[in-house]
Amino acid sequence: MRKGVRKLWALAPTLTLPRWAGEGIGVAVLLAYALLYASPYGLRVLTVAGVYALAAIGFQIVFGLGGALSLAHGAFFGIGAYATGILGSQWGWGFAATFPVSLLVPLLLALLVGLPVLRLESHYFALATLGIAQVVHLLAVNSPGLTGGANGLPGVPGIVLFGWAVPRGLPLAAVVWGFVALGGLLAWRLARGRWGRALTLVRDDPLAAGTLGLDVGGLRLAAFALSAVYAGAAGALAVHTQRVVSPEVLEFPIMVSVLTIAVVGGRGRVAGAILGAVLLLHLPEWFRFLERSYLIVYGVALLATIVLAPHGLTGLLDRLFPARPALLPKPEAPPEMAIPNGPLLRVEGLTKGFGGVRAVDGVSLTLEAGAITGLIGPNGSGKTTLVNLISGLETPDGGRVLMGDVDLAGKRPDRIARAGIARTFQAVSLPEGASVLAAVAAARLERDGSIAQAEAHALWALERLDAADLAAKPCAGLPAALRRRVELARALARQPAVLLLDEPAAGLTDGEKAELAGHLRAIAATGTALLVVEHDMGFLLPLAGHVLCLDQGRPLYAGPPEGVRSDPAVVAAYLGEGA
Amino acid sequence: MITLQLLVNGLALGAAYALVALGFVLVLNATAAVNFAQGDLVMAGGLLGVALAPHLPGYLPLPGLLLLPVVLVLMAGLGLLLAAAAYLPLRRRPPVAVFISTIAAGIILQNGASVLFGPEPRAAPPLLGGGTLDLGGLVVAEQSLAIIAVAALLIAGQQWLFGRTQLGRRLRATAQDPEMARACGVPVTAMILITFALGTAFAGAAGLLLANRYFVTPTAGGDLILKAYIAVTIGGWGSVPGAVAGALLIALFEVGVSSVLSYPVALGLLYATLLVILVARPQGLFGEAARRRA
Repeated sequence: MRKGVRKLWALAPTLTLPRWAGEGIGVAVLLAYALLYASPYGLRVLTVAGVYALAAIGFQIVFGLGGALSLAHGAFFGIGAYATGILGSQWGWGFAATFPVSLLVPLLLALLVGLPVLRLESHYFALATLGIAQVVHLLAVNSPGLTGGANGLPGVPGIVLFGWAVPRGLPLAAVVWGFVALGGLLAWRLARGRWGRALTLVRDDPLAAGTLGLDVGGLRLAAFALSAVYAGAAGALAVHTQRVVSPEVLEFPIMVSVLTIAVVGGRGRVAGAILGAVLLLHLPEWFRFLERSYLIVYGVALLATIVLAPHGLTGLLDRLFPARPALLPKPEAPPEMAIPNGPLLRVEGLTKGFGGVRAVDGVSLTLEAGAITGLIGPNGSGKTTLVNLISGLETPDGGRVLMGDVDLAGKRPDRIARAGIARTFQAVSLPEGASVLAAVAAARLERDGSIAQAEAHALWALERLDAADLAAKPCAGLPAALRRRVELARALARQPAVLLLDEPAAGLTDGEKAELAGHLRAIAATGTALLVVEHDMGFLLPLAGHVLCLDQGRPLYAGPPEGVRSDPAVVAAYLGEGA
Repeated sequence: MITLQLLVNGLALGAAYALVALGFVLVLNATAAVNFAQGDLVMAGGLLGVALAPHLPGYLPLPGLLLLPVVLVLMAGLGLLLAAAAYLPLRRRPPVAVFISTIAAGIILQNGASVLFGPEPRAAPPLLGGGTLDLGGLVVAEQSLAIIAVAALLIAGQQWLFGRTQLGRRLRATAQDPEMARACGVPVTAMILITFALGTAFAGAAGLLLANRYFVTPTAGGDLILKAYIAVTIGGWGSVPGAVAGALLIALFEVGVSSVLSYPVALGLLYATLLVILVARPQGLFGEAARRRA
């Protein structure tokens, strides 16, 4: 019996369904239920499920894709609800006027608070957004003149679409789910496109995202603002369904429900938001005896999902019915970037202190087109800090970083990246969930018109490093040497005028090092200026045309590689006797 | 005289908040994870006191004080359970996973409590007695003094444990660098479990202390976790003395502003101040103690 099951299991992947099968079946089941079986009460639950689905789709954008655990999402929902509630019941405005306001007010608030708050690290961001939610709740309860206080406001009108007053029951459910379909489609397109890809990289590795030319702050703010619009829309539809608005719409259970829906359904997935909402809104019906404490079921579902199935229900479905692997694009060389001759980057008197330590102390260097410059020095001598200063991850205290006539010192990493500087990291970091091709294509998101184009160009970069065969592999589980090569391909895909490499040969075997040296020479031959931080003199000295040695942040030696081993200061500080 | 009176009230409230914040920061340091259920654990401690009180033999004096060790032990057990269910399975995952799992644990506690006890506010017995003392014209509730004394004793005990014992050294080593501690032979998982037990026991003690004068409802945890969080933030993320100082500060702020204006205004101002601090000085008023973990 067991064997039979396993045989069936082995067959499963060959029974590949059309790409839309899952979604299609889901929609059909939902429609059939709504039209044929649902009682008036059932339709009401379905309508509310639609409201939560819409809110959760917005939450997938900020939390699922953007990775920011916004606990203000419930507040945006409530603000949208109050905007419709107050304007509809007190001012007599109709749906056509209140609905846009319900989207606009949360949007404006999100833009206002987002600018300062989004800079915060994850746990501070969660705290700050929770604080915002609490302030909004307090205001709603304690301003009875505007909001009706703790009792709220009754008499909110229903939805009127083009002169048609939507009655309760099936029509209202259809209208709400129409909004879900609209919002879901938009979010799905965004998530699959360049914007969604960029946002996931910002989530997985904000530092790398910046050095690949992506405006981390801008992307996060846009995601936060867009999520607020979805929450506001859901809040508005919620009060149209309930016909009253009270502080309940601002309380934590709504936030908790949306979070649970997103996590249980599958983080970052539009289908997950919808599946999660339908499931979780029906779940309390089976636990009627818990009455108002039905949230206990949500707590259990949330805990079980996060522990047992971190990718949620859609993740489980993906495992059961794996998608056919996407076909690789044809590699395509990106349009050539003209790199001028002569000096490309001039660093003048760059200085950086951490507390009392001067990590980089008046360093100057010039990187010439087509030349490889070696940067050496003992541990803690400021090599990585120098690379961080040039690439914008640290802000210098003084000095200039000149690219042509433009001073890039202190500019944002993405601005510096766009000026033509690319880098790799000492500790390679690739998004673990992505394929090699997707990871490299991230470098092209800012420049190319579509994902397909970005991937074609990414494959070109991988080919240049003889790594095209890795393209379909997942980044997770790649051995160290290949990870370094993929990261180099990602930097190369930027077509940089200046390429900064932080210990590119660390952990490589001698054979791999020789191969890497060949690749670096080929890159330099196209006119790119290279700065290579390295400890392995046997690798670096034959490669570099010029070497700079740092000690305690200060230049100790600058000159041809032949002079390094004989320079008494370098030998004393770094190489040691007998080097 | 009124100022002094408020000061004592503020100190008593702050002493209880300090226990909450201390438990929060100990777990934070040991695991680099935010325990979002800390507020609900306070509530659980309070309700545990409420539930146990009728079972004490009536002829014993000082009901509240006798309950304290029972609550501490039972809550420590709950802490172990929390660690086993919501932390240990997720320790290799991004911090946000534990954030969510502890939110889930909080929801379960909160709604479980409302199933068992109903939504009404309940009061636990006072530690010593419900009376007041007249200290040269300054009238102080016995409970306020008892809260301050118990909290001070517990915090001193924690300091002694961490500062003077072999177990404490191991706990601190785990908090400083778990990888290194493991390499040196410290049983890191056991240390994390002990930290969870300790942090939860402190939350429970705070719950018992608060549940007499301020009552306890199943939904009380939400405000408390925010206050613990704020205390730890203004005290410097990860700093133990900072957490205690931060808790005292926000309690004094709360009592002071409530007496002049009202409690909702005090709460609103507190959150608004938090937002300003986060934006202007995210490292806290006294500097950040927790290392960034890569």
